[in-house]
Amino acid sequence: MSFLFGGPPKMTSEQKIAAAETEVEMVSDMFNRLTESCTKKCIPTDYREGDLNKGESVCLDRCVSKFFEVNMKVSEKMQGEATASKQSGMGFGM
Amino acid sequence: MEGLTASEQRELAARMERKQLKEFMTMYSKLVQRCFDDCVNDFTTKSLINREEGCVMRCVDKYLKSSGRLNERFQEQNAAMMQSGSLPGR
Repeated sequence: MSFLFGGPPKMTSEQKIAAAETEVEMVSDMFNRLTESCTKKCIPTDYREGDLNKGESVCLDRCVSKFFEVNMKVSEKMQGEATASKQSGMGFGM
Repeated sequence: MEGLTASEQRELAARMERKQLKEFMTMYSKLVQRCFDDCVNDFTTKSLINREEGCVMRCVDKYLKSSGRLNERFQEQNAAMMQSGSLPGR
């Protein structure tokens, strides 16, 4: 019954690796989604040139920045909702 | 990755490698589909005509450049976000 006294529960090797894997997965998933959205929004599909022109480059830069901002806003909002519903004793069960 | 032993790190690296290969294949097939959809619309000939072939080359070129640029910006933003200590990636 060492878990009663051993402080924080120790993760098995497999759990630690899986946790690290999930972390990398989250970031790479986010990158893939961002790439899809920003390409759709910034790159016209007629491909008149192989290079990125000025307009496309600036659009991509801003798109990444806004994607992160939206990410933050949603996260803040969700955290706010979770706190609010915890106080009123209902909701997500978080 | 904090708190992993050397052998755990090796296992993680092996899994990442497998995942990267898979991601590359996915990226590749998506790119083929995108350039095909955007560039090839004329089926009065059996092989790609010059215009289509040029379009496909530019499509790939542009994709590689834009994904490189997105990656740079992404790394910057992600590093900034991790420093400020919020989601994701902690």
